[in-house]
Amino acid sequence: MKHEDFKVIGKSIPPSESFNKVTGQFKYVGDMQAELYGKILRSPHPHARIKRIDTTKVEKFSGVESVLTHKDVPPRKLPRRDQRGCYILEDHLRFVGDEVAAVAAKTRAIAEEALDLFEVEYEILPAVFDPEEAAKPEAPQLYAGGNVYGPQFDLMVERGLNKPVILEWGNIEKGFKEADVVIEDKVEVKPQVHSPLEPHVCIASWRGDELILWTATQSPYEVRMSIAHALGMPEGKVRVIYGAIGGGFGSKYVGRYQAIAALLSKKAGGKSTKIVLTREEDLCHASRAGAKIRLKIGAKRNGVITAIHLRAFFNLGGYGNVIGGCARFVEESPSLTYKYRNARFEGWDVHTNYFTSQPYRTIALPALAFAVEQVIDQIAEELDMDPVEFRLKNLPESNDMMPVKPHKNPIYPRGRLDAYPAKQIMKEVREKIGWERFKGHQQPVAVEGPKRRGIGVAASQGWGGFCVGGFINETVILNNDGSVHILSGHTDLGTGSNTTLRQIAAEALGITIEDVTIATGDTILGHFDITGARGSRSLTTAGHLILIAIEEAKRKICKMAAPFLKANPKDIEVSGKKAYVRGNEENAVPLTKLLTSTVKCAVGGDPRDWILTKGAMWPLVSPGKKTRNPIVLATEVEVDVETGEVKPVKIVTGNSPGRMINPMIVRGMYIGAAVMTLGMALWEEFNYDPMNSVYEHASLADYKVPRALDVPTVENVIVEEVVERPLDVGPPYGARGAGEFSSAGVVAAIANAIYNATGARVRQSPMTAEKVLEAIKLGRPKKK
Amino acid sequence: MEAVNKKWIHIVVNSQKHEIEVRPNELLVDVLRERLRLTGTKVGCEAGDCGACTVLIKGKPTLSCLTLAIECQGKEILTIEGLGDISTGLHPLQRAFVEHYALQCGFCTPAMIVTAKALLDRNSNPSEDEVREAINGVICRCTGYMQIVEAILAAAKEMRETVHEA
Repeated sequence: MKHEDFKVIGKSIPPSESFNKVTGQFKYVGDMQAELYGKILRSPHPHARIKRIDTTKVEKFSGVESVLTHKDVPPRKLPRRDQRGCYILEDHLRFVGDEVAAVAAKTRAIAEEALDLFEVEYEILPAVFDPEEAAKPEAPQLYAGGNVYGPQFDLMVERGLNKPVILEWGNIEKGFKEADVVIEDKVEVKPQVHSPLEPHVCIASWRGDELILWTATQSPYEVRMSIAHALGMPEGKVRVIYGAIGGGFGSKYVGRYQAIAALLSKKAGGKSTKIVLTREEDLCHASRAGAKIRLKIGAKRNGVITAIHLRAFFNLGGYGNVIGGCARFVEESPSLTYKYRNARFEGWDVHTNYFTSQPYRTIALPALAFAVEQVIDQIAEELDMDPVEFRLKNLPESNDMMPVKPHKNPIYPRGRLDAYPAKQIMKEVREKIGWERFKGHQQPVAVEGPKRRGIGVAASQGWGGFCVGGFINETVILNNDGSVHILSGHTDLGTGSNTTLRQIAAEALGITIEDVTIATGDTILGHFDITGARGSRSLTTAGHLILIAIEEAKRKICKMAAPFLKANPKDIEVSGKKAYVRGNEENAVPLTKLLTSTVKCAVGGDPRDWILTKGAMWPLVSPGKKTRNPIVLATEVEVDVETGEVKPVKIVTGNSPGRMINPMIVRGMYIGAAVMTLGMALWEEFNYDPMNSVYEHASLADYKVPRALDVPTVENVIVEEVVERPLDVGPPYGARGAGEFSSAGVVAAIANAIYNATGARVRQSPMTAEKVLEAIKLGRPKKK
Repeated sequence: MEAVNKKWIHIVVNSQKHEIEVRPNELLVDVLRERLRLTGTKVGCEAGDCGACTVLIKGKPTLSCLTLAIECQGKEILTIEGLGDISTGLHPLQRAFVEHYALQCGFCTPAMIVTAKALLDRNSNPSEDEVREAINGVICRCTGYMQIVEAILAAAKEMRETVHEA
């Protein structure tokens, strides 16, 4: 079907909640008042044990209503998905800022003052901060079973196996032997902090034995499940209300602070207790996993890649929250950027005494691309090939067989790529960045005094957003006036998923978007979603299930309409609030005549999905087919070779959203993710100073996220490619997830552009002026 | 002890007069959010770095998390709630932000809009660079700023045309 055949999808409809946001009426959790204010005492040491903790003075302090230490918490862990669970509080402290104790008081000022009254004696333990060092057996141990955590394939199952995650096929030794050029390199990616503008926040209160928790979270049912488990309560007794979220990006999952607020409130007789992290606490709450990556790629003289060997150490921090750094390499993610004939990807998730790592607009994709794409450029240079041409030679395309059956999992077969226009995207990006100006690998496109301009390109690949069905529940309720009410388990982070889902439902039923309302934001709806807003999957997975429910509702109506229309149900169409025999719309029966009540259809896939697929999140979209996101990024930078300062001049994102449901939102996602990763590329440095046990960048004055003047024009190449399927098969209307995927190649494309401008390779992100200048001083490599 | 130093101040917030007794160390943002329940103004960092708490004092963008309420004696303050609402009609900037998808999570939006209003009040035809300079103090972590800049330029154009027609 073409764009013009659709009435609601393909249109740039603004999210309706935007009206409340521009008037200041949208209520975030922090806008609500509570009876008590909670504060958390945090560890001043990176690795320590609490020898003694005395709360006498805190408890006597006027205005304090409850106090919590590790002695007061249940001996049950907060399970966090795919990661080591942690107790709500523990006597073993694993990073500067780790939770030691907590207090709730009548005012924030009293709670803050009370923190100084805890008397704590620590036993200081040796600490380790580098993931590669921490993986060695002689390193200080954060956990009895060792610092390496993995491999993890099962949900909520702990297996500290001390082994890497491996994804491999072919024979790399043979592949490297066949190569005419082999390049080895090593890069490091420093942790990037999500820093959503709204700090982490929650308000807990008790109504009898029911916990009510207002919180800004991307994964409300995970919060419910974890807190219920840790407190030994039935899940239904934990109600999580999560309607408004001021940015998440992978940082707002379940955290200890929510469970701490719940226990503080309980000890204070159920009084509502609010915890808002300060900006400093928030910046040390979670980061994108730092990584050290060693890489070797071989290619033939004709430009065909023969083998890749990647070995990465990811910094999980003290705890790690959700599928670590290598994340099982998010199934076959890194394997797909190019057609690697022989490959070995080896990833180590390692605990260190840094704060926790969490996913961050994808998991490891920016880090992997930073490593791979710099080496790809080096090979192209060695072979005297144009970087874009080299990539075009190796990119996969639609219907190519994916190389690997992940983890030899029988439930998770190999598949062919569904609608994968990587080459077309690459060609269009090449045009938009003005690649005809490329004169050679170390030849800037323009020089003006000390300022040199360079252009760079990078490719990557992401999952398609379409994933396990069983873990989102969706109910479609068709009212007798033909309008629709949807109960949904998905979470809208501000990414417009409420709007795009309403568009899909309206299109499928031939009604307007105003006719569709969607209810989410409260676990009392019981519409389970284990992963929450993660993996760019809200639109595709929830949308798929909503369409299944709509098709079922239509079938029910067709049956009811058959006697009215004197026709076979199979010949009846339901659209535009009426039922009619196909081709005979004039003699339709309106739903108001047909129904006196509602038609309800509830859908949730196989509730065993996760067990059956052993955690494989990205299944087939139709027999033998998988959907993936091809990604290309190009940048132009201006480097001042005297100061090392890099000014981004232009970014071009290249993606395929399948079919765009809402072009304005899709564009917003691509620009937003690209700019966020631009910060990772150039400015967002978050260092820990082990001499003084402090984070050097724990404020938004020191931690430099992109501001309006830092950001260049971002242009988008958006290539739609759709495989037509029945409505209830595969991603809805052929749409693909968009939220994360322009993030993947920015850091790499900037590195390659810097090289083009200066001949200097910067092997550590962020590529601050200092590091760029150092790389320039090291001198450019000799051109063979 | 606190009560001893409390002082009565008169402020005009969104054209409404308020007489409030404040502590000498009480911040304007707390008076707005907690006393007047005008929660459209946000708190992002409490240190003047993120800009989310920006309001207009006598038409000038001001960080309400760094401003003592007591300093606002007699002053006119505009918050997002004073700009327009769904029932009385949206300000062109508010409309443009909606139409251009210039917001995602929405947490910086009130600050962005009042900051843009101050710009357009003194410069009805700003360049893209002038818009970026004006909003440089407000962090948006979602949008990458492009659609915000587009919305502000579109609102400026609409406002110029409306004035012209009038």
